[in-house]
Formats: sequence, C-alpha cells, structure tokens
Amino acid sequence: MRTLDTVRVITPRSRGSAKEVWRFRDLYRSLVARDLAAKYHSSVLGFIWTLLNPLLMLAVLIAVFRHVIRVPIEHYWAFLLSGYFVWNCAQQCLSAATYVLQQHANLSRSAAFPSEILLLSASTAKHVEFLIEIGLTLVVLGIFHHQAVPGSFLALPVLFLLQFVLVVGLMAPIAVLSVLFRDVQHALPPIIMAVFYLSPVFYSTDMVPESVRGLYMLNPFAGLLSLYHAVLFEGRFPAGGLLGWVATLALASCAGGYMIFRRYKPLCVEVA
Amino acid sequence: MVPRVECRNVGKEFRHPAQAVSLREWFIRAVGGRTVARHAPVFRLSGFDLRVGRGDRVSIIGGNGSGKSTILRLIAGIYAPSEGEIVTRGRIAAVIELGTGLHPELTGAENVHLYGSILGMSREETRARFPEIVEFAEIGDYIHVPIKYYSSGMLARLAFSIAMASDPDILLLDEVLAVGDQAFRARCHDRIAEHLNRGTAVIIASHDLDLVRSQASEVIWLDAGRVRMRGEANEVVDAYLASMSHAERAQESDDHASALDRLLVYPEA
Repeated sequence: MRTLDTVRVITPRSRGSAKEVWRFRDLYRSLVARDLAAKYHSSVLGFIWTLLNPLLMLAVLIAVFRHVIRVPIEHYWAFLLSGYFVWNCAQQCLSAATYVLQQHANLSRSAAFPSEILLLSASTAKHVEFLIEIGLTLVVLGIFHHQAVPGSFLALPVLFLLQFVLVVGLMAPIAVLSVLFRDVQHALPPIIMAVFYLSPVFYSTDMVPESVRGLYMLNPFAGLLSLYHAVLFEGRFPAGGLLGWVATLALASCAGGYMIFRRYKPLCVEVA
Repeated sequence: MVPRVECRNVGKEFRHPAQAVSLREWFIRAVGGRTVARHAPVFRLSGFDLRVGRGDRVSIIGGNGSGKSTILRLIAGIYAPSEGEIVTRGRIAAVIELGTGLHPELTGAENVHLYGSILGMSREETRARFPEIVEFAEIGDYIHVPIKYYSSGMLARLAFSIAMASDPDILLLDEVLAVGDQAFRARCHDRIAEHLNRGTAVIIASHDLDLVRSQASEVIWLDAGRVRMRGEANEVVDAYLASMSHAERAQESDDHASALDRLLVYPEA
C-alpha cells in the first residue's frame, strides 16, 4: 500500500494537516516503543524504577502530611495514591516538553514528518507508564480501601482522555518556546513546583477556602485531580459540572497550545 | 510531461538562531500585533527554479554553504520555504544525513522498521521488504546486533538499502554514496539506474565531480545560495573547476573528505 503517492504543494504558509500526522502513525509507534525500550534497556530493575521513585515520594508525603502536618483526611494513604500518579505523569510530561524537540533535532532535520509526532510520542510514552501505575493503584484501592470494585472506576477512561488532551495542550507551547528561548527551561521547574502546591495533591479541594475557590479552580489540575479523587478515592461518579469545566479547560489549552505550536514549528526544525 | 519535482521562485532565509525570534520582537508582535525590523539573514537562497521529470537525474554542485543541502531539505519538505512554491508528485525518500533516524542501541532489524516508518513505509510494507533490504545491505547475521557495533560502511549500506526499498518516486541523496566500498557504490549506482528507468527522479548533492560528469543529466552549480550556472554536465563542471584556483581545488577535495567525516559522525541517541 503506497501512502505517500500524492501531490504535495509546499509554500511558506504550509503547516501540514491532521491527515499528515495520521500517515506517520508507524513512526509514532516506533518512537513510543523506542522511548520506553531505551529507558529500560540497560537497567536491571527496568520498569520497577518508574514505580520505585514515585513510591518513595509517596511514602515521604504520607509520613509528612499524615504524621507531621496532619492533614485531616481519613484513609490519607488512599487519598494520596488516587491523585499522586496523575500529577507525577503530568509533571514529567511538562518537563519532557522542554527537551523533546531538541532531542530529536537530528531526526527532524533529516526526514520530513510532522513534529506533532514527537510531542505525541513523548506524551504517550509517559502515559503508558501512567496506565500501568494506575492499574496497580486500582488493584490496591479495590482490595484495601473499598474492599470491592466501585462502579465509578468505569469513568476512568474519560478522565484519562481529559488528562491526555490537557497535558498535550500544555506541552505544545512549552516545546516550541523552549527551542526559541532557552529561558523556558529555567523558568519551568519553579512554575511546576508552584502548581504542585496550588493543586490538590496532598490536600483536598474542600480544604481550600470558599472565598478563593473560584480562582483556585482556574488551575486545570485542581479540577482534574478532584475528578480523580471522586472516582478513585470516594468511589463515586464525578459531578457533571466539574467534568464539563475540566473538559472546557482541556480543550481550551489544547486549542491554544496547538495554535502556538503550529505557528512556530517550522522555525523549530531549523533552530532546534 | 508532468514533472516529479517543481520549484518555482523558491527562496529560503536563515537567521542566526539567537536572532530568529528575539524575546523583544516576539513580545511586540504578540502584544502589539505589529512586526519589528528584521535582522539581516545569515544565509539566503533566492529565485531558485527547478523542474525534474521522470527518470531525470540532477546533480547539485557548489562549495560548502552554497545551499545544496538546503535545497534537498526544501524539496523533501523538511524546511518550509520563505518564498515561492515547491510541488512534488509521488513518494519521496531523502537520505540527507546518514545515520540520523537510526538508533545506536537498537539492532539492525529494529532500525529497519524505525527508518522505514520515517521514510513513510507502512509496517506491512517494511516487513515484506525486509529480506530484500538485508540482502542488499549485505549485513548478514549482524542484522540482529545493535548498530553501534556496525562499521560506517555497514551503516551506509543499511540506510541506503532501506531508502531504496521504499521504492521512491523521488530520491534525494546528500553525499551518502560517498561512504561504503567500491563494490557497494557500484551496486548502488546500478540500483539508482534501475529506478531511473522506472521513472524515479533523482537529485544528488555531490562533491564527487567525476561521478557528476558521468551520470548527471543536468548539473546545477550553486554559489552562495544563487544558481551560478546550470546545464549539461561537462560544461558546468568545467566552468566550476575553472572558477577555482588551485588552492580551492585542494579545498574541494578536502570538502569531499570532510563531507565523508560528517556522515560518519554518530547521531545523538
């Protein structure tokens, strides 16, 4: 089957189409596999490392916020577990966005393919790890927290989809801007740290004062994590209003981020 | 006849990376919605026209930095032109820098699939062509060894074999044939000739002037981003050589050597 037997017209305004991205799905698959394989290739513990790091962090968070700061949440370990991997994945994706285009600069300069592929494959590789983590979380929560399998777990695919769209939307402008301005790489870590404290990872949204709650919910991760808390920790289906709000933020970030990405992606191929 | 490749008044400007988008310029544009005065470009290709039909073989010659690779990248669709229009008809295989797109930690076989997907082949297609690729590359059992243990000749053979197996309608080669031994080069040229007969358009950027003389149907001589001369191979190559002093001629063969070196440098993982 010949997939590229088409007439192509390139002008200064050409930016490629979604169809173009779809054509290169095999490259996408290869890159995801290569990402995951390269990461665990020469390590003995392999995938265990992806689990070990966040588990260590979880243990520290539980120790500090359960026993020192004493966050008033029952079954605190289960609460933390139901949101921490979401944040961990998002944070890793955002950091990956600062180097993904530079990392593959050689490839981009020697083969013609849409750079969206690089963004999507980097995000997908992290989300594959996330899916494994969340799978284990489901088992642990099912056995030790709910002692049953709550029906609300069925809502997870929707949450996952929102998360992916939101994260890719945020990654897109970070990726192109970090190629054009090295400053982004310096600015991002403190911003990520700030968002961590401003997101309900180790405390719940209910604990945020009512008076600033509206402002607080502008942080897309506030809504997203609240959804995960409802579904995983409380075992109930999320409120439609909240779901709609997070979906709006995710789509807005994706649309806005992608606009910036498209505008600068040809330049990034040359400069990265 | 409808050409495979058509460039109409194509121009390309590069600015120094730091100047490409300055923070100030970007801010003014984003906030004020107006453009600020631009920096002078570092390199400019302008007014480039080209028509390559089925079975045509065009060679581009010129010194380092004359724009040869830039033209190949523009036609391949890697770079966007700053002005003009490029029309291509059919599948393109561009082997611009050897080794890029190959991953050192992966085996030859895994790399065949990776590189195949970069060249736009489907997985089924790559799988079907796999034996042929391995045979032409003469890699043998090394196909199951990570390619970081390959010699540069083996890498060249592998990359070229995959590119040819993708059955391109348009083949863009940047100096890649220079690596590999005599026998392999001869086979490559046979293979290219076969493709030319079947209607593939071939564009090669080369420092190897003897080769250009013997094979190109049209030669384009580039000088600092402008076409200095174009036409029949011997005529253009003679004029090109005559324009160079003795020292520059030595430099030209150095360029050939350094182009080789460049190909052998391993891409980052």
